[in-house]
Amino acid sequence: MDYAEFDDAVDALRDGVYAGLPIVHAPESDDEDPQGLPAPEAAAWRIGADWDEGDFESGFRHFVGTVDTTKVSALIVGGWGEPYEDDSSKVVGLLTEHADRFPALRSLFLGAMSCEECEISWIQQSDVTPLLAAFPLLERLEVRGGEGLLFPLVRHDNLRVLRCETGGLPASVVRGIGDSDLPALEYLELWLGVSNYGGDATVADLEAILSGERLPALRHLGLQDSEIQDEVAAAVASAPVVARLESLSLSMGALGDEGAEALLSGQPLTHLKRLDLHHHHLTDSMVDRVGAVLAGVKVDLSGQLGPDDEWRYVAVTE
Amino acid sequence: MTLLTVVGTPGERRVTMFARACVSYGLREPRIVPWSTVLRGQDIRLEPGTLVRIESPGEDAEADALLRGPGEPARTGGGAAWHTAFTAGVERVRRAVERTPGATLLADPGEIAVMFDKRLCHARLSAAGVPVPPALSGPVGGYAELRERMAETGWNRVFVKPAHGSSASGVVALQAAAGRVKAVTSAELTGGGLYNSLRVRSYENERDVAAIVDLLAPDGLHVERWFPKASVGGRTIDLRVVVVGGTPTHAVVRASRTPMTNLHLGGERGDLGAVVAGLGPEGWAKGLDACARAAACFPGSLSAGVDLMIGVDWHGVAIAEVNAFGDLLPRLTGLPGGAAEGLDTYEAQVAAILGRHAPGPGAAGLRPAVPVPVGGGSGG
Repeated sequence: MDYAEFDDAVDALRDGVYAGLPIVHAPESDDEDPQGLPAPEAAAWRIGADWDEGDFESGFRHFVGTVDTTKVSALIVGGWGEPYEDDSSKVVGLLTEHADRFPALRSLFLGAMSCEECEISWIQQSDVTPLLAAFPLLERLEVRGGEGLLFPLVRHDNLRVLRCETGGLPASVVRGIGDSDLPALEYLELWLGVSNYGGDATVADLEAILSGERLPALRHLGLQDSEIQDEVAAAVASAPVVARLESLSLSMGALGDEGAEALLSGQPLTHLKRLDLHHHHLTDSMVDRVGAVLAGVKVDLSGQLGPDDEWRYVAVTE
Repeated sequence: MTLLTVVGTPGERRVTMFARACVSYGLREPRIVPWSTVLRGQDIRLEPGTLVRIESPGEDAEADALLRGPGEPARTGGGAAWHTAFTAGVERVRRAVERTPGATLLADPGEIAVMFDKRLCHARLSAAGVPVPPALSGPVGGYAELRERMAETGWNRVFVKPAHGSSASGVVALQAAAGRVKAVTSAELTGGGLYNSLRVRSYENERDVAAIVDLLAPDGLHVERWFPKASVGGRTIDLRVVVVGGTPTHAVVRASRTPMTNLHLGGERGDLGAVVAGLGPEGWAKGLDACARAAACFPGSLSAGVDLMIGVDWHGVAIAEVNAFGDLLPRLTGLPGGAAEGLDTYEAQVAAILGRHAPGPGAAGLRPAVPVPVGGGSGG
């Protein structure tokens, strides 16, 4: 699996590549010449209303009316006017209502906004599981923002990638994902965030995920950006799911020597191809030990922040 | 021989770099009239026939005390007093120039006064059709009134700027929605006072946010709707474009992880090439045109430092500020292919001064007569 597209940049996905396709801005008004557009299947289409436009729906309807969306495989939803005020339920509703117009949709990002547009903890999300019900063939779902986010348990047979980028992921979402049946899920990445921004999940809330019982295909697990990263690491150290992973990320959080020690003294991790611990608070000697014990694993220990317990911070919150 | 005088703070880089540029063009080093002399009301003596450049008083503690009154230099307030004292000082310089035979002021006191009042500056730009973010009109007396006005306009996110501030002092990026409020600012609230800091902080307790705005309000506030800025590599960007003699000559990208891009607040010089590429030739031309039009609102000013914002979508542009003394950009040389290619901002201004005021045939496009070694990364 190629992880290159996944990183901790809170990027608005306005250019570059998404799901292997060049990002193209969807035509949202008649001013734009449809002749210059790429073939519908050759682009990751970015739709969304910017701060001074404020109307997602008309742009969306124009897109559906202009581009043959039956061939669109990748969609990026940016903002929806005032995402700090209005939640994403209207966007979710529009997408689900038009599900029959997107039979080829496989990848969806909901809420690709830079912090200048709307900071991650201000994005008002909603229940995103109707998207999974409406798009049974969806393979990749990414959501930015944990505020108002709901994820009641679902079953989805084809989802391979699920990412929640948040500054605070509610415990109910963590539990909902853990309780869901996601037999095809290979890549799960959760930014747990901080309690100050609604990230109230405890290690107990991670239990279902860590058991791996409903995640038979999981190859990568990311439990990141957490203020309780040490506790998360300790729980991962004895988690049954780890044996089937090829890649593990405990990056972006307040990981210290305690968490690293727990990892090293838990179950063997030498089967991993990749262990991502970047943005951490390990001491130099612990950095050396991790490197020595896991010599055969590609370990990312970049972003060492100093071991001061008083001033640990996670990468993304506000 | 062209004679130059600078009203400034002796020894400050603004003064020494301009002096060096003069020497490189074969001019005599300018005479310096210290701001403290002007502000104390002492007699200003000028040489007959001199051209007089007004510089920023900079960070001179004595001048600052004379402008804002005595007090802790790091405090944020006192902008209104500063503006009154500063414009009075500029006026004294103007009168001194007037009574000196053959002397010429290389600035317009009225324009300086407007550039140092963000409300008037915004109104002037707006009236001239220069793209600017919408602003609240009329005075905003304090936090409660600010929130009322935000609710009326439907703006959830605004930039609150002290009317007479500079260097982002006291600027607050404020957002309020869904029962939450957040202020991002370089001002530090301590012990009931407000101080400039080199660190940008977030305040999310409404009592603190209200206290900050209420402390800033008595000196006058200018409130603009937050214009979401483009980003490059996860950093928010804007540009400082120096316009000399009507032509945008120098541009530097400022990139930051906070809404304030100022270099002294942790902003970094960004990649101009990436920004020009992101805008495309038309977008870049549109941006420079907006800067030229903003500077054209101040035709009596030799140069202006225009802050150019690019919208998140990379299409819209808007002017954030026009700075009377926005040319302190050490080692930055002019835009490739432009009128000041290879020249720093001070050399470009000396060339423009000679082009306008030197005796003899037109001297436009002058180059330094004496090669001057340029320290650090030249040519960027």
